[in-house]
Amino acid sequence: MAISDLPVLSALRTRMQWHQERQRVLAENVSNSDTPRFKPRDLVEPKFNASGTQTGSMGSLAMMRTSSGTNIAASAGGQTFDVNSKVGFETRPTGNAVNLEEEMMRVSANQMDYAAVTSLYSKSLHLLKTAIGKG
Amino acid sequence: MADNDISDFTRSMGIATSGLRAQAGRMRVISENIANADSTAQTAGGDPYRRKVPTFTTQLDRVLDAKTVALGRIKPDQSDFRTKYEPSNPAADQNGYVKYPNVNPLIEMTDLRDAQRSYEANLNIISATRRMIQRTLDILKA
Repeated sequence: MAISDLPVLSALRTRMQWHQERQRVLAENVSNSDTPRFKPRDLVEPKFNASGTQTGSMGSLAMMRTSSGTNIAASAGGQTFDVNSKVGFETRPTGNAVNLEEEMMRVSANQMDYAAVTSLYSKSLHLLKTAIGKG
Repeated sequence: MADNDISDFTRSMGIATSGLRAQAGRMRVISENIANADSTAQTAGGDPYRRKVPTFTTQLDRVLDAKTVALGRIKPDQSDFRTKYEPSNPAADQNGYVKYPNVNPLIEMTDLRDAQRSYEANLNIISATRRMIQRTLDILKA
């Protein structure tokens, strides 16, 4: 078993991947903030059980990545993307529903959560170092 | 990542860059409109400068495998020209009226601000992504 397969580390790694993916989705939303008929999207949060293995529907993300030729929106499963429930309320006459302030909030939240996860990851590595007597 | 090795951070950067490029193009069109706000026709009774409207389209970047934004076709604004009674102007028609461009500086300035805000938002994405990459590299230092 590799060190990175430890439940804590693999859960943190999954979470980091999720934040990376989310950053991409948010970047898409922001860059298309003036495109007609564009609806912003977000990712569903990954769920972990007590032992740190993932239980939610992150698996379909891998499916989305492999389909390079097709449009992402077409292949996206209903479980992977969290469609903003407020869409329609904020839609502009062009059909664009991106709210820049909200997206900025999400980006900074994503960044702060990512920072928390990476510091937890290095703390966990530190824990292992302490265990082998190098702390 | 089965089919390509581009990380999601690189994609975020690429998407935000496409946003920057599109907004910069929009700024160019707006500045063209503002600069030509008083450009009348060269011939008597001719049409003056017609306001241009930038459009945006979503396109699938096959290298990044992500939806990026691009400046679409730049369309002419079909609204009516302003007319002023200036019989002495060389561009005036038989009745003495001169057609001025259908550019409203107030609208252009608002548009310019909007483009500026969107540009800043995309820059914000880039710096947030960079900070996240920095955090990942910091794991190595711990």
